[in-house]
Amino acid sequence: MLFWVIAAMLTLGASLAVLLPLAGGSRSASPSGDHDLEVYRDQLSELDRDAARGLIKPAEATEARAEIARRILRLDTAASSSGLTLSTRPASAMARLVATAAVLAVPLVSWGLYSQIGSPDLPSQPLAERLAKNPADSSVDELVARAEAHLAANPSDGRGWDVLAPVYLRMQRFTDAAAAYRNAIRLDGDNAARQAGLGEAIAGAAGGIVSADAQDAFEAALKLDPANAKARFYLAMALAQEGRTKEAAAAWQAMLATLPSDSAWRGAVEQALAKSNAPEVASAADAKGPDAADVDAASSLSPQDREAMINTMVAGLDDKLRQNPRDPEGWMRLVRSYVVLGKTDQARDALGRAIAVFGADSEEAKKFTAFAASLGLTATE
Amino acid sequence: MVETGHFALVLAFALSLVQTIVPLVGARLDNQRLMAVGGPVAVTGFALTALSFAALASAYATSDFSLANVWENSHSLQPMIYKITGTWGNHEGSMLLWVLILTFFGALVAAFGSNLPASLRANVLAVQGAIGAAFFLFILATSNPFIRLNPAPIEGRDLNPILQDLGLAIHPPLLYLGYVGFSICFSFSVAALIEGRIDASWARWVRPWTLVAWMFLTGGIAMGSYWAYYELGWGGFWFWDPVENASFMPWLAGTALLHSAIVMEKRSALKIWTLLLAILTFSLSLLGTFLVRSGVLTSVHAFATDPTRGVFILCILTLFIGGSLALFALRASRLTAGGLFHPISREGALVLNNLFLTTATATVLVGTLYPLVVEAFSADKISVGAPFFNLTFAPLMVPLLVMVPFGPLLAWKRGDILAVAQRLMAAFAASLLAMLVTALFISGATVLAALGVGLAVWLVLGALTDLAVKAGFGNVSVGIMARRLAGLPRSVFGTALAHMGLGLTVLGIVGTLCFGTEKILSMHPGETVELSGHTLRFAGIYPAQGPNYSEDRGRFELIGPAGNPVGEISSAKRFYPVRQMTTTESGIKTLGLSQLYISLGDEGKDGSVVVRLWWKPLVTLIWGGGLMMMAGAAMSLMDRRLRVGAPSRRRKRIEVPASAGMP
Amino acid sequence: MTRKQKRLSVILGGLVFLGAATGLTFYALGQKASYFYMPGDLATATVQPGQRIRLGGLVEKGTIQRGQGATVAFSVTDTHKSVKVTYTGILPDLFREEQGVITEGTFGADGVFVADSVLAKHDERYMPKEVADGLKAKGVWQESKSE
Repeated sequence: MLFWVIAAMLTLGASLAVLLPLAGGSRSASPSGDHDLEVYRDQLSELDRDAARGLIKPAEATEARAEIARRILRLDTAASSSGLTLSTRPASAMARLVATAAVLAVPLVSWGLYSQIGSPDLPSQPLAERLAKNPADSSVDELVARAEAHLAANPSDGRGWDVLAPVYLRMQRFTDAAAAYRNAIRLDGDNAARQAGLGEAIAGAAGGIVSADAQDAFEAALKLDPANAKARFYLAMALAQEGRTKEAAAAWQAMLATLPSDSAWRGAVEQALAKSNAPEVASAADAKGPDAADVDAASSLSPQDREAMINTMVAGLDDKLRQNPRDPEGWMRLVRSYVVLGKTDQARDALGRAIAVFGADSEEAKKFTAFAASLGLTATE
Repeated sequence: MVETGHFALVLAFALSLVQTIVPLVGARLDNQRLMAVGGPVAVTGFALTALSFAALASAYATSDFSLANVWENSHSLQPMIYKITGTWGNHEGSMLLWVLILTFFGALVAAFGSNLPASLRANVLAVQGAIGAAFFLFILATSNPFIRLNPAPIEGRDLNPILQDLGLAIHPPLLYLGYVGFSICFSFSVAALIEGRIDASWARWVRPWTLVAWMFLTGGIAMGSYWAYYELGWGGFWFWDPVENASFMPWLAGTALLHSAIVMEKRSALKIWTLLLAILTFSLSLLGTFLVRSGVLTSVHAFATDPTRGVFILCILTLFIGGSLALFALRASRLTAGGLFHPISREGALVLNNLFLTTATATVLVGTLYPLVVEAFSADKISVGAPFFNLTFAPLMVPLLVMVPFGPLLAWKRGDILAVAQRLMAAFAASLLAMLVTALFISGATVLAALGVGLAVWLVLGALTDLAVKAGFGNVSVGIMARRLAGLPRSVFGTALAHMGLGLTVLGIVGTLCFGTEKILSMHPGETVELSGHTLRFAGIYPAQGPNYSEDRGRFELIGPAGNPVGEISSAKRFYPVRQMTTTESGIKTLGLSQLYISLGDEGKDGSVVVRLWWKPLVTLIWGGGLMMMAGAAMSLMDRRLRVGAPSRRRKRIEVPASAGMP
Repeated sequence: MTRKQKRLSVILGGLVFLGAATGLTFYALGQKASYFYMPGDLATATVQPGQRIRLGGLVEKGTIQRGQGATVAFSVTDTHKSVKVTYTGILPDLFREEQGVITEGTFGADGVFVADSVLAKHDERYMPKEVADGLKAKGVWQESKSE
């Protein structure tokens, strides 16, 4: 609505710029001869200055003065011979037509064209505003962006990297996933899941080829957890890709024997085995592990992951508020987040801490209580 | 906000149509009211374009990825300054900047044009409006920066890392102010052709506009050259790249225009030539825009496969260049020719200047377009680079530069070349001395280098001689001389400054090309290297993290004569993850007027790094000279004679001097 | 000299000047323009040792050898034929295996191309224009619309 008001005002202003001069009094303009005269007069005074300063010799000055004077004389005769007068002619029909068309053209052209190419209903969407929204309302992309922003500000938050890495993997942002896994390993130490994830990310970035780097990662994972299914699966895949199909098949067979019957990896292994009997070389892209295959790659996120991400974010906010407690906005966001997540106890705890920070009688405390009440939460029971 | 900007752009287009037609018809019908429309419409159109540009810039500043243009060329982690400069770091945004500046100049004519005859003013604004309308249409039809994305992506694709530099903040706006500034000269010329006569005030007006445009273009080119110098890491300051040539051609033609406009203003001669030159200069600006914006440089074939933008600009190009030249052919004969002069005179010198400059422009034009023509008509692909331009451009420039000091000293109409030569004897002797000193005392100096130094000294001292002579050096006492010097018109200083700046630029080029040294070697941390008397120690490579990149910074210490470090230079390899691009940040240390330049290469397996080092003597003078040329233009602009008032009723009649009747 | 003769001599002087400039320009175009070749073109074209040309193609995988100091040797290929190139200096940031590259220089007597400049300047699709055109003509490289 506001946009249409602004657009209408702009159109009005633009139309006035056309209309006012047309409606204005007919100022008589000076004929061009007068302008020329002005220039010549100026040239003469400049000549006098130069001559007085001795920049030009007296003889040259006289000659130049004569030349300018001749131009002035020529100007006078030209003006009188062409019979130029100051009177403005009455507006002809043609002039009226052009004037009308011009006044009409401004709104017609602008609104007509804009209605074709504009998107008047789309509001501006500055990033900061979008990120300030409640995490529970956000799309996966937005969650990832917030996590990225958080990690850009706190690059040493190992847990943050750990949460983000598998999300990247599912969104098929393999290079980012590999970087995130490496950061998590560097900051929070090794574990089998991280190493195996790193291997999968490297392989994914290489289009499914289990490279030497990926193999290193998988082997590291197996050292930490000899039963890690992902690592075993991909190492067998590496054998298959090298053409050692028999060894690969043996490895997969061994895997099947030890995997628990409800393991999600069974299907993938069986598929790979079937493939390895076929003539063509298997590749990881054909037989994805369940992590990649089950989840629609780019857009959706499993509820658990989603919750895990939100939890990390909320925990991050909580940490921040422990360090910089005098941030009423932040406290309210935290309380609301806990309520949304269904963690009433923590919400209540946060509310208590917030009130303690500002003092029970402060303006802020009253605001907090009212805010909590609006969420169906009471400070103390 | 965003859509307001979009709407303002459309509205500005509508106004530009009105600005084209109404004043033109008004001038034709001699209707004051219709003519009066031009001014307010031009100012309003500028305000709307500015609003539109501000909306786009604020969308960039707030990372509004609901705009496709912002999404493609920005990233939320970029530093704020690069978010904002990213507005014009892409095709769509830079075209919006182009029309913003175009309407800005139109508004200036409207605001300061009260001393112009009404019909001339109306016609100028109409032509300006027509150029605006064409480019607004181009933007709206093929390059609209306000295309929206719904749903909006959460992160942008980042600005090309090479453009994430302060150079981008300054270079394109300056360049466009220059390019587009020549549109005023063009509009004046076409307006004069439409009217069929050239007023005296026409001549007065074209010169300051040329000066303004030329000043900015000089700055834009100098800035672009420095940017390429430090950003590309190749240590070169000019590559004869088609994109560079595209800005250099209007500069050469504009320089010619600047000089021929003096003759026209002072002597009413060379009128028709000046008019043609004004048309050609802006045509070259348009050609430059076409070359850079159409994709034709990427490949003639790329242009043919994705023709919308290219063909559109080509149509604009044909319309304006073809139209104005056709008008010129029709009307030029009706214009009265100007006064006569002796070949040896100030006018004669300026004509010679024009001859050389326009020929040089033509040479650059041929060199730039030839590969495109060859590629279009045959299967061959060729490139025309520095060797071609060195062979053709330099022989044209050297005689021109030798003649520069003579020009300002020659008298109008009939000059005395011998007297001028006598006055320049001191400057000539000094430059001979400079040549001898260079040849004898500087090791490694070639004959060419000595001649180059002599030429530079000749230019600088020649400009000073002009000032000294005009102040009456040798004839009057020091006190009077100082007073006369202070009383000289500013334009005399402007000329001297610009010519001196030219000399300094020549000196910088000669110094860098003839006395510079270069080393490529692989270094281990702790090693030192000697380059033209400077000792550098490689301290090692240190990783660091930037806002949207990570880098490996190679540190070098400059070792003083006592063996202690006296300065640090660091060059870095930066990696921008969003675009998966690596850039090299060169390390530059300015010592006096010279620079040490370091560029980092690949890291070896054993921890060594390939390093390329340059010693570039006097290199800063190349751009310092450019700045001085700008200062000269600014000084000239302040000259009182460029401020001609509007005719007033009170001073209607003037005394015709008594000598007027005499032949 | 009469006024007419003077004017004539001025005009003649101008024409001689322009003629000389035109002649020089076209002489320089003939001499200094460097032709662009892909490795496969070299079989049919006659390129003298010492003649300056531009050679473009892809950097062949596994051929990059770093020698003494800053000298690098690699092969440029159009996937059918390849040419060995040596270069002393700093390679551009975008120089990678299997990426497009343009080198400028001359052939030595031993058939190795000695480049004095290496460009990996590219458009948005990471391919120098000449190389992309050349590869397209040979049917090696398809334009991929990845977006």
